[in-house]
Amino acid sequence: MSKDRPSSDHPSTTDWTAKIFGPDFLNVLFRHPLDPGYADAAAKRQQEGPPGRFERLLGRTLSTVALVMVGFLLAVAYLQTVTEEPERAKVRAALAEQIRQRNARTDELAARAEELRAEVARLRDSVLSSDDAARLRMLEATVGLARVRGDGVVVTVADAPPDAVTGTDPKLSRVLDRDLQHIANALWSAGAEAIAINGQRLTSTSTIRSAGDAILVDFRPILGPYEVTAIGPKEMMKRFEDSGTARLMRQLVRDYGMQFQVRAADDLTLPAASDPRLRYADPTSTTSPAPSGRGRSLTPSGGS
Amino acid sequence: MVPVLALLAGAVLGLFLDPTVPVALQPYLPIAVVAALDAVFGGIRAKLDGVFDDKQFVVSFVGNVLIAALIVYLGDQLGVGAQLSTGVVVVLGVRIFGNAAAIRRRLFRA
Repeated sequence: MSKDRPSSDHPSTTDWTAKIFGPDFLNVLFRHPLDPGYADAAAKRQQEGPPGRFERLLGRTLSTVALVMVGFLLAVAYLQTVTEEPERAKVRAALAEQIRQRNARTDELAARAEELRAEVARLRDSVLSSDDAARLRMLEATVGLARVRGDGVVVTVADAPPDAVTGTDPKLSRVLDRDLQHIANALWSAGAEAIAINGQRLTSTSTIRSAGDAILVDFRPILGPYEVTAIGPKEMMKRFEDSGTARLMRQLVRDYGMQFQVRAADDLTLPAASDPRLRYADPTSTTSPAPSGRGRSLTPSGGS
Repeated sequence: MVPVLALLAGAVLGLFLDPTVPVALQPYLPIAVVAALDAVFGGIRAKLDGVFDDKQFVVSFVGNVLIAALIVYLGDQLGVGAQLSTGVVVVLGVRIFGNAAAIRRRLFRA
């Protein structure tokens, strides 16, 4: 720092314009918050003497008007904020109410679908021979379209409790859609015949994905703690416990305090999944199920 | 005395008339308030420093509000309205705090 450089602490009014474009603009702003125009005006007054009577009156009137406008502005802004707030709360409440209504309606429709499905099954059974009916029921249970019962395991996973000190909910200690996917896949590979997550039965086309902070199973949001229920053979629990997924989950429990628990359960009942609607794939007309060779597409076999 | 009365009169006028702000102008209201506060605090400090000037006060008030509104408008058109608003609030906030500190020092010697 050279001595002859003008100190930036108290720039005179003349070198202000030079300073304002300098790299220390913020510095100047922090040190001299007062509009430099006031100093300029004071200097001018000192040079030319006090302004005339008319001029002073005009200035006084104008600044009074400006102050009235400032007060007006403050009052208007205050009123605006006050009136806006309940409006926002109202909109949010209305949206939440809509979500609740739609959820209730979906549950209602799902129950009705279940009822109708049972009725269809009953009517169909009365028409078909008992052999065919049994086979059909078996197939339905396999693909997840019928309610099933049996022994199996219940895997419970939950987010880590919020930090006791800060009360924050760290992102890393949440259960992710990926965790549930891994668990479901490990259960399938351990021999599970039917799996449901929080009462949502998984089929071959089920999706487990996240949207925002929520996890969707087949587009229905589910909340933690997550319960993955699987029906399968006796060895399933041991196989699952030995799987890489279970090891990974235990690691997560150690590292992030997530909760993970596997227990055997008898006489589980898994609900039916909602009917998958085929929009693009048509069933083939041949009655005997063709062995699905690799690379064969789902298009109907026209016979050509 | 007169300035305080003028400020109060404006506030009463606003509360009494309760004008509806057009939707197009609503985003500019908070910024205009901050700009106006900056002008008012600058004016008070200048008064205490003994350099108050009516013309300078009026010009800084009108200019602050207009430029703040212009910046927000420009930001909205460019799609960075929120960021530019933040910038305006930061710069004006720094000035308001600086002037308020000077006023405090002058009034309470602390």
